[in-house]
Amino acid sequence: MSREISFIKAVREAFREEMLRDEKVFVLGEDVRAGIFATTSGLVNEFGPDRVVNTPICESTFVGVGVGAAMTGLRPVVQVMFSDFTFMAMEMIANQAGQWHYLSNGALKVPMVIETPCGARGGAGYGHSQSIEAAFMYPPGLKVVVPSDPYDAKGLFKSAVRDNNPVLFFEHRRLLTLKGEVPEEEYTIPLGQAKVRREGGDCTVVAVGRMVHEAMAAAESLAREGIQVEVIDPRTLVPLDKETILKSLQKTYHLVVAEEGRKRSGFGAELAALAAEEWFDYLDAPVKRLGAPSVPLPYSPVLERACIPDSKSIIAAVKSCLKGE
Amino acid sequence: MQLTKEILLDLYRKMNLVRRLEKRLEELVTAARVPCSGHFGLGQEAVGVGVASALEKTDYIFGTHRGFAEYIGKGMSPKEILTEYYGKATSLSQGRLGQHLLKLEAGIMPLPSSLGSEFGISVGAALSSQRLKNNKVTLNLFGEGTASQPDCYASLEMASLWKLPIVFVCNNNQFVELDSFKNLSPSQDVASRGAIFGIPYEITDGNDISLVWETTRRAVEKARRGEGPSFLEFKTYRRSTHYTGDPGGYQSQEEIKDWEKKDPIDRCKNLLLERRFLDENLEDSLLKEIDTEIEEAVRYAEESPFPAPEVANTGVYAL
Repeated sequence: MSREISFIKAVREAFREEMLRDEKVFVLGEDVRAGIFATTSGLVNEFGPDRVVNTPICESTFVGVGVGAAMTGLRPVVQVMFSDFTFMAMEMIANQAGQWHYLSNGALKVPMVIETPCGARGGAGYGHSQSIEAAFMYPPGLKVVVPSDPYDAKGLFKSAVRDNNPVLFFEHRRLLTLKGEVPEEEYTIPLGQAKVRREGGDCTVVAVGRMVHEAMAAAESLAREGIQVEVIDPRTLVPLDKETILKSLQKTYHLVVAEEGRKRSGFGAELAALAAEEWFDYLDAPVKRLGAPSVPLPYSPVLERACIPDSKSIIAAVKSCLKGE
Repeated sequence: MQLTKEILLDLYRKMNLVRRLEKRLEELVTAARVPCSGHFGLGQEAVGVGVASALEKTDYIFGTHRGFAEYIGKGMSPKEILTEYYGKATSLSQGRLGQHLLKLEAGIMPLPSSLGSEFGISVGAALSSQRLKNNKVTLNLFGEGTASQPDCYASLEMASLWKLPIVFVCNNNQFVELDSFKNLSPSQDVASRGAIFGIPYEITDGNDISLVWETTRRAVEKARRGEGPSFLEFKTYRRSTHYTGDPGGYQSQEEIKDWEKKDPIDRCKNLLLERRFLDENLEDSLLKEIDTEIEEAVRYAEESPFPAPEVANTGVYAL
C-alpha cells in the first residue's frame, strides 16, 4: 500500500522506524525537539529527551559529540540546522569523522548521519541558502546523499542510519513540502545506486537533488521538440554509481550535469573529469556543466534566481551540447 | 581504593619507563632513524602516568601529543609505541598513525592532530557510556594551551548539563608550544573555568604522583557514581622544548633548575625509600628491566617490515 506524503513526513517516518528498530539510534542538534524543519517534530514525545537531544549552539562541538558517540557504540543522527553551518563543524567532519576508521586500522567505526537542510528557497540570504554538498566529496571516508523526492528520502535515510560510516544527508529546503508516493511497507534504498528518472537516447542529463525536477521539466519540453533526454538522479554523490551514467552515455554520447551548488570544483567538475578520463570514447561533444557562479549567494530573489540553473538553462545546455558546441 | 605499595611502585616504574623511552626516542629522532619529530614531556611525567593509572582498563582516555606518560599509564607498550613511530607493519595501525597513538582495547582513544578536536569527541564517548550504562568513565587530558579552543567551553557546558561521566584534566606545564602561557592568557588557572558551568574543580601539584593519582581517582569514582564531571588541573613544568629540533630559549635556566629540584621521579623515589618500599637493589633491577624492554622494542621496531604500499589505499570505509 502506498500513499502520498511530504518529504518531511517521509524523513520523520524513517527516523521513527529506525529509532524503534535500534535503540542505539538517537538524534542530536539545535532544537530537534521542536524540529525547525519538522523532520524530528514529535519524536521526543515517543522516545523521550534522552534520544532526542537539544544542544547548545556550537556546531563543531555537537558534531564532535556525535563522532565520539558513534565511535563508542551509539548511532547518532546529528542535525545541523542549515547546511551552511556544517562548515563550522568541518574539522569534525573532514578531519575526524571520515578518517578514524582508516587511521585506527579498522578498530573504530563512525556510524553517524549528519542530516542537514540546504539550498535556496528565497528570502534567506547568503548563509542559509547554499548547496555545498560537493565540498564533502573531497575529504576521505564520507558518504554524501542528496535525495530528490520523498520516496528516495525515506529509503536513503534508513540506509544512511544503518551504514557504518559517516553519511551527510542533504535535504533541499524547497523539496521539504513536496509530496510523493511512499509505500507503507518497510523498504530501504542502497547508497550508491543512481536512478534513471526518464529514459532517452539523445542526451544524458545528470541532475543533483532539486535539479532533478528542473531537468525533468526540461526533458518534457525538449521531448516536444523531438529531443529525447535521459535524466539520471545519482542520489548519492559518494559512493557514485558510475555504471548507470556510463550505460547512459554509451547510448547518448552527450553529457550535461546540473547542480545548484557552485560550478567551480563542484559535482559537475568531478563528473566532467571522470568523463574525460574514463568515458572519452562515449563523448561526441564537450561536457556541459551547470551550477552556481562562484559568488556569495545574494539575497534579492532576482539575484538569487540568477545564480541557480533552471529548466531553461538546462534546455539551452542540452541544445548546445547536441550541436557539439 | 588506597594507593598501595604495589600501585606506588608501579607508578614509579611507569614514570621511569616514560622518561627513558622518551630520551631513547629523542636519540633516534636526532639520528633520523624514525621519520618524524618528537614532542617530549621531561619533568611532567607524573601527570599522564598518574591520571591514566587511576582509570580502569575499560575506561576511555583522550591523551595529548606530548610524550608517552598517559599512553604507558593506560597500557600501551614500548613496542606498540615505537612501531607506530617507525611506521612499521607491526604497529597497531599498520603504519597509518605515527605519533597519533591509539589503542582501543586499552581505552586509548583518538589523538587528533588539531589540538582540542577531542573535546566534543570525548563528551560523545561519555554520553555513550551514560546511555549504554556500561560503567565506563572518560578522561580527557589536555594542555593549558589547548583549553583556549572554543570547543572546550561548549564541551564543559554539555558535560555539566547532561551530568556525564567525564573528568577533564588540564596538564598545565606552563608552555604553549614555543611560548610561555603567561604571554598567552591573562588567567594562569584553567580548571576554574569549569565553574562557569557549575563543574567542581581542583588545582593541585602535578609533580606529586600520589596526589595526582588520588585526586584523579576521586574524580573518576565520582563520575562513575553518576555524580557528573569534574575539572582537575595539575601544575607542572615542561623542561623539554616543544619538539626535537626546537632551538628553545623560552625557558629560563633558573626556572629549569628550580623545577629539577621538584622532579616527580625523584620525589616518588624519596617517598618509596622513606616508606622502605624501595632499596638500591630493587631500583637497579627495575631500571635494568626498563632499559632491556626499551632496547628490545627498538630492535623489534627496526627489524619489523614496512607495510606493503597497497595498504595505503585500503580500509577507508567500514563494511
